[in-house]
Amino acid sequence: MVAFALTINFSPLLSFSYIIDISLMSIERDVVSRAIKGDGEAFAQLYEEHFDRIYRYVYLKVGNQAEAEDLTQEVFVKALEAIGSYKWRDLPFASWLFRIAHNQVVDYFRKQGKVEKVALEDDITLVSGSNPALMAERELEIEEVINSVKKLSPAQRDVISLRFGAGLSVAEVAKVLEKSMGTVKALQYNGVAALKKMLLADK
Amino acid sequence: MTRKIEDILDNCLERIFKSESIEDCLKTYPKQAPELEPLLKTSLVFMQRSSTIRPDPRFKARFHSQLQAMLYAKQEKAEKRAKIPIWHRKWALAMTAILGFLLIGVGTVAASAYALPDESLYPVKLAGEQVRMTLAFSDIDKAKLHIQFAEHRLGEMVEMARQGKSDEIFVLTEQIANHLDKVYVMEETAVVRGKGPQTLPAPALAPSSEAGAYSKGRDAEELEAVLGQSRAKSLEALRNALDKAPEELKPVLQQAIENMEEDYGRAIFIIESGSSQ
Repeated sequence: MVAFALTINFSPLLSFSYIIDISLMSIERDVVSRAIKGDGEAFAQLYEEHFDRIYRYVYLKVGNQAEAEDLTQEVFVKALEAIGSYKWRDLPFASWLFRIAHNQVVDYFRKQGKVEKVALEDDITLVSGSNPALMAERELEIEEVINSVKKLSPAQRDVISLRFGAGLSVAEVAKVLEKSMGTVKALQYNGVAALKKMLLADK
Repeated sequence: MTRKIEDILDNCLERIFKSESIEDCLKTYPKQAPELEPLLKTSLVFMQRSSTIRPDPRFKARFHSQLQAMLYAKQEKAEKRAKIPIWHRKWALAMTAILGFLLIGVGTVAASAYALPDESLYPVKLAGEQVRMTLAFSDIDKAKLHIQFAEHRLGEMVEMARQGKSDEIFVLTEQIANHLDKVYVMEETAVVRGKGPQTLPAPALAPSSEAGAYSKGRDAEELEAVLGQSRAKSLEALRNALDKAPEELKPVLQQAIENMEEDYGRAIFIIESGSSQ
């Protein structure tokens, strides 16, 4: 019953974010090619497509709205500066963009002199909407997600955030983190097993 | 061969992402189902909850405008660049390279200005002097440069004396003599060519058969004055160096002073006598 409900809930999300479709890939390839040549409209299209996912990944890593906004901005500014030198054969576009994001996050922790540890905000205002009860519930859920993810090891957190937060495939995650697919799968398994204790404990 | 649980989990996740249900996947792996089911549920719960993390729409819109401005500026720059013909850009690139090369070269020459004979930049300093000599417009200018370079060698000699380096003092003495010899040769040439203001024919009785044949001109007077000042300045500097020098260096310096008095004296005498007859 629970499984059925979950499947129903996720089917729209999955159909938009996770289905790898060859024709979509060729469309993206075309958009990226135009952006490389300096087409502003094409770059804006890529921005629309990836912005939320980049933000979500960064937020899961830093756990702070203001920092996540700053870092997401920096990711796209860097991408705009570097897109001219991007080459398909080296890295799929999503992996390239998320590698920029990953490096920004790594730099952020290094500059702050912080050990990579998610700092949860006291007052989360991530969800906007007209139903205050639903908003409060969602904010609680997000808090729970952040609390659980901060208990993972940095490598597990990277994989879980990229895989389930940003919706990348194992192959793409492997390219972003420069790890083998086997390692990514192992980190995914261990990360999910650790999350299970926290997220399903009260179920 | 038994598949690893990590691979099975990933396989199920991919199938669920493609709209299969958890039950369908568990049916494929009945042995692993008890372990797999909570892991799949956990993954979906995490995805569902994290999917509600979204940027503030106001921030997104604000940054979108900023990005549009940046894109516009970038496009404008690219268009301006495209308007410049390729040969123009190549030319600009070549000029930049030449300028860079010259700046490095000028920088090295400038850095060599204070180089001493035992330093690596000293040959650059001498080469720079050679270039100046080549570029000098007239023979009189060249003669003045020889006096100036003789003073440079003297300054170096004083510093070498301070450092107690007698070999360099000896070599520098020779170089000063060489420069001073060229002063009157240049002056003679100038007069013979008629570039000097006095171009009267010379009588035979003169220290130099050619220089002595001409009457005194403005350039010769000037050269004589410059030489006189240079001699006074140089000898004073060397005598000061002699006073401060260690005993073992004094004979070398004393000899240098005597040689220099003689060299300056000869140069002045030739110019003076050559142009006064």
